[in-house]
Amino acid sequence: MLKPLLDVKNLSVRFGQGDGSFLALDGFELTVAKGETVVLVGESGSGKSISALSISRLLPSTALIESGSIEFAGSDLLGLSEKAMRNIRGAGIGMVFQEPQSSLNPVMTIGSQIGESLKRHHGLYGKALLERIEELLVLVGISNPKHRCHQYPHEFSGGMKQRVMIAIALAGDPELLIADEPTTALDVTIQAQVLSLMKTIQTNRNMGMVFITHDLAVAYQVADRIIVMKEGKIIEAADREDFYRTPSHEYTQKLFDSIPSWEKRLSENPSADHPAAEKALNVKNLSVSFLGKTSLFSRRSNAMVAVNNVDLELQEGRTLALVGESGSGKTTMAKAILQLIKPSHGSVYYRGDNLCDISGRQLRRYRGDLQMVFQDPYSSMNPRMLVGAIIKEGMIAQNIGIDKSERDDRVRRLLLQVGLDPSYALRYPHEFSGGQRQRICIARALAVEPKVLICDEPTSALDVSVQSQILHLLRDLQEELGLTYLFVTHNIGVVAYLAHQVAVMHQGKIVEYGSVDDVLHRPQHVYTRALLNAVPKIGMSL
Amino acid sequence: MSFVFLTTDILLFLLIAILLVYGIYALRHEHLFRPWKQVVSRPFSMCAVVVLSFYFLIAILDSVHFHPTIESSSGNDVQHSTRITSVLDLVLGSIIAGTEKTYSAPFSIYAFAKETLVDEDGYMVREYPRLKHAGSHLSEPASRLDDILNRSVVGVGKGLIGWIFFCAIIIFMMSRIQKLAIRGIVKKIIRGQSSLSWRTFFLSFGIIFVLVGIGLQLCPHYHVLGTDQVGNDILYQSLKSARTGLIIGTLTTLVMLPFAVIFGVSAGYFGGWVDDSIQYMYTTLSSIPSVLLIAASALMLDVYLANHSEMFVSVTARADLRLLCLCLILGVTTWTGLCRYLRAETLKLRESAYIDASRAFGAVPWTTIWKHVVPNVMHIVTISIVLDFSGLVLAEAALSYLNIGVDPSMESWGNMINGARLELAREPVVWWSLFAAFIFMFVLVLAANIFADAVRDAFDPRLRELN
Repeated sequence: MLKPLLDVKNLSVRFGQGDGSFLALDGFELTVAKGETVVLVGESGSGKSISALSISRLLPSTALIESGSIEFAGSDLLGLSEKAMRNIRGAGIGMVFQEPQSSLNPVMTIGSQIGESLKRHHGLYGKALLERIEELLVLVGISNPKHRCHQYPHEFSGGMKQRVMIAIALAGDPELLIADEPTTALDVTIQAQVLSLMKTIQTNRNMGMVFITHDLAVAYQVADRIIVMKEGKIIEAADREDFYRTPSHEYTQKLFDSIPSWEKRLSENPSADHPAAEKALNVKNLSVSFLGKTSLFSRRSNAMVAVNNVDLELQEGRTLALVGESGSGKTTMAKAILQLIKPSHGSVYYRGDNLCDISGRQLRRYRGDLQMVFQDPYSSMNPRMLVGAIIKEGMIAQNIGIDKSERDDRVRRLLLQVGLDPSYALRYPHEFSGGQRQRICIARALAVEPKVLICDEPTSALDVSVQSQILHLLRDLQEELGLTYLFVTHNIGVVAYLAHQVAVMHQGKIVEYGSVDDVLHRPQHVYTRALLNAVPKIGMSL
Repeated sequence: MSFVFLTTDILLFLLIAILLVYGIYALRHEHLFRPWKQVVSRPFSMCAVVVLSFYFLIAILDSVHFHPTIESSSGNDVQHSTRITSVLDLVLGSIIAGTEKTYSAPFSIYAFAKETLVDEDGYMVREYPRLKHAGSHLSEPASRLDDILNRSVVGVGKGLIGWIFFCAIIIFMMSRIQKLAIRGIVKKIIRGQSSLSWRTFFLSFGIIFVLVGIGLQLCPHYHVLGTDQVGNDILYQSLKSARTGLIIGTLTTLVMLPFAVIFGVSAGYFGGWVDDSIQYMYTTLSSIPSVLLIAASALMLDVYLANHSEMFVSVTARADLRLLCLCLILGVTTWTGLCRYLRAETLKLRESAYIDASRAFGAVPWTTIWKHVVPNVMHIVTISIVLDFSGLVLAEAALSYLNIGVDPSMESWGNMINGARLELAREPVVWWSLFAAFIFMFVLVLAANIFADAVRDAFDPRLRELN
């Protein structure tokens, strides 16, 4: 067998020193041949990014490589000087990171950022440099490169920026490309384009690629071999076909089982038939537009319409999923229903009252009935308040419970209800993991006995196994308390698993609205079809 | 003795009470307690804390004012002097050598200027006269150096004995509270393994004790830092100035805080016309040169005081009012900086989900602000209070130099510098009052800056994430 391009043996990385230290990477092994794609899969904290950073020797200063060797194209990377390593980075190993927004320098043109690497590694300048930059832009699928290379990052969309990042990574003609969650921050339709672009370039250039992702479906689409990681250790390593046919390890099996889908829903709850129920909330002609900055002396009116004439109907005890890509106005719409953002016109009917018209005092009465669970469990709780006080806040505002002891009692019951220990009431939010925090947020919303719960991407910041627990909890609570959900999400799997009805949102408008079975399996609108086609699925190549 | 409470005294004690309440509150709240613990775990900042507390002790002693009793010759009725003195005056009065005629250099026993004297033989001579108080115990002027050395050695010894007693008491208390053997604690402290940097704590106190010991031995017999134009001891003046500096540094912040917090937070939270009007207000205010505003206000105040001289029972009360007004003026002109920071931070916080959650519960805006916004901008307030402190102490010196600062009758470093300014042209130069003001101010400002750095490191969330 040929000598592999990259050969990592028994790599261990430790963070910190003394008692507080931990092993972030423990006996990590990886070989990548020319033209091969190895995918590292794992949940957050599994050490997959650390492995990529140690290969390019970009670890933070608190990390220490304890043992192991990294051989790349015949040289031992751990033994190289920093100066020699600079030649390897870019020319030998190219890197693409997760956040295209923060990886590009906002005050330099796209062309000069690509040019940096070309000047450094190929000594190009002047006309030759410009030609090469344009070639690279064409290669990553950016049209009109002559014009585009003089533009700044803010003139590019997220997907375009990621293409530019790939162009920068390719500028030094690397033999190995390391991509750390390159499509996680992108919408599914863009993700599909970027993935197929990366795969094409890799095949054409016969590059080796290390691809890091948390999504097993994305992994299927790009991988030749797959390595599953957990807590710094390799759990399982196998060729793609073997891996997806028969995952051998228990943990991998659990990962597969956690992925929400239509099939999973049917297997857990075969009766997929839900008769229509009473109306809980009715949205009519709702529009939200954001004005440009207005001030005392000037009133500019270049309004941006975020939500455009939307009609929705929430049925009692049912889940309506609001699906759409980023910027489609889903979150704005959710907040407008709760009157957290004032709609510019239209009405939201709840129990016969139009929430948009009634006075502040009347609205406060309904506040308890309509609650919200937010996207980011890390920023949705005041870090300086105890969990108990956080949950009690709504009870105090809504005058639920007579005195302190009754409220404390209720906090304990709520914590139990969302599957947490009642003693957690006396701790601070930062002591909890993302999943636990999201449970606390659910308890906070439940504290005021809501009828309608608006969930704004409650699981998108969570790992897939934690996501499945939270989805279970939400479904159980719905059965137990008869809650009505408006579930805002971009994840089609979650929709298939949880929703009764689906509304697809695109550029502020509802383009398709119907039962989950109809929308997912018999989509009518062009956009819905494109969206569903772009969703990566296991067993479906690019 | 009948006690007098000047306005600034009351405010200073109020401030100390607030600090105490905050301290007790912080002890119970881990997110406040941890950063403060981090501050005193660094050797340099522990040293700064000790130095600052020493200055504060002086200022507090100088803030307990009273009318001293006059020994009346007729009968038993107690009479009070109209003069106001403080506990510090009382303490220093018995230690510091008495007032001379005019300038004298540090440790000198002769006056700075020649006088016409009659010598033993009855001739008139131009001679440097002996000082009235300093060195009056010396029969032989040549023994001055030996005397100073002897007294210093005794002072160092006394200081060290005092220090050992002090350490013993603290360590004994620590062993009682932590329930550990004294030997274990001492070993830990000497090796610098204790969680707070106690070793620096004891060493800084050691230096202070030795300095105080030497001072106690020398001050009754010499003017350690010389005397000024009217023969007052410079060391005494420098110590008295500590109160002025600290009052300016702290009360100004107290005046400025409500403006900055209320305006900054409401501008950020409510937006719209509230934001616009507050922004116009502070951009207008901050575009007027602050010296101009302060000078104008100080002149208006001067006119007012001159026209209402009957309102004040004593010069001290008048000087005190002037000091308070200076704090107010400085406070009103300096809140814009903090206000800007708080507005920006609130704008950021307003978008966070817990504010939305609070609004979704139907909480009224001021509840949300009080519960969610204010606690989360407090770290900025803490950092800017300590950072502003040293700037304000320096500002006082600069303003007094321009004659628009504190009352000329009040001891302050700025007034000392102002008074010494013309004497710098003399030959030989009168350098000591400038030098003393510089040293005392330098130590205070340096300590405050080191402390401010440590506070910023401990409270800045971005730096905390890196750790």
